[in-house]
Amino acid sequence: MIRALVMTHGDIGLELVRVVKMIIGPVDGLTAMSNAGLSGPDLQAQVAGWLDDGDGDGGGELIFIDDYGGSCASAALIACGGDGCRAVISGVNLAMLLGYVTWRENTDNRELAAKLVQKGREAITLVGGR
Amino acid sequence: MPVVLARIDDRLIHGQVTVGWSRQLRPDRIVLANNEVAADRWQSRVYASSVPPEIAVSILPVARAAAFLADPENIDERVLLLTASAVEMNELVRIGAPVGAVNVGGMHFGPGKREMLPFVFVDEADLKAFGRLLDMGTELSAQQVPGGREYTVDRQRLQGMEANP
Repeated sequence: MIRALVMTHGDIGLELVRVVKMIIGPVDGLTAMSNAGLSGPDLQAQVAGWLDDGDGDGGGELIFIDDYGGSCASAALIACGGDGCRAVISGVNLAMLLGYVTWRENTDNRELAAKLVQKGREAITLVGGR
Repeated sequence: MPVVLARIDDRLIHGQVTVGWSRQLRPDRIVLANNEVAADRWQSRVYASSVPPEIAVSILPVARAAAFLADPENIDERVLLLTASAVEMNELVRIGAPVGAVNVGGMHFGPGKREMLPFVFVDEADLKAFGRLLDMGTELSAQQVPGGREYTVDRQRLQGMEANP
């Protein structure tokens, strides 16, 4: 199974994961993490700890962040150390997380990441007004 | 070279810097002075890619950053200077970086650190570094973002921390 970490500013990720579980029910392997109160090195260590927790499973990992250029993005990328097997996706939204839960069993990590980026973009659309 | 903001922030380049302060101060360049990051190509690449394209970025060891900032060739640039710690900022000023005031922007909790302000946690090395910066005539204040509450970091505040270990 591909595990996922939703790492964001404040409680954005915690709430997104809570809502996913409210919609779908319990979801293994989906974790949220906040950057609140943590230094850059501590954020990196926290992500590295999450990555280490999954060693041996073999399913791979995805990290969702809220905005590229912030402390969450830097911590995630530095902790992954340029490992192309671990996708880091910016701009997390609810549609992406629902897609993750739906597709994660039948897709490899790289393909899943590409599908989720597409899904996230499609979810951002003008649905009213001009 | 005018240093428009010299900031201590253990998150280095992140939103409060690239959006918050940069939107207000319009720096031409961000100089990140940190020996560890400068020696690590991947970390340097990650932090450099976090800077908006209209702002140049230099990631340098502390000694080279001080020389860069003191170089008259770079006089026309508006620079936002970052270090991860008070110790690094003290070293920069000690060896000649032209910094008259320091913004303490984010020093998070860690082992051996005590709360000085809601976003500033310090240990003995930090307190010594602040003291030495004040000795050199550097003004210190703590403020996370433009428009946020600004706290003076002066002798009285440092003595208060030293008196309550």
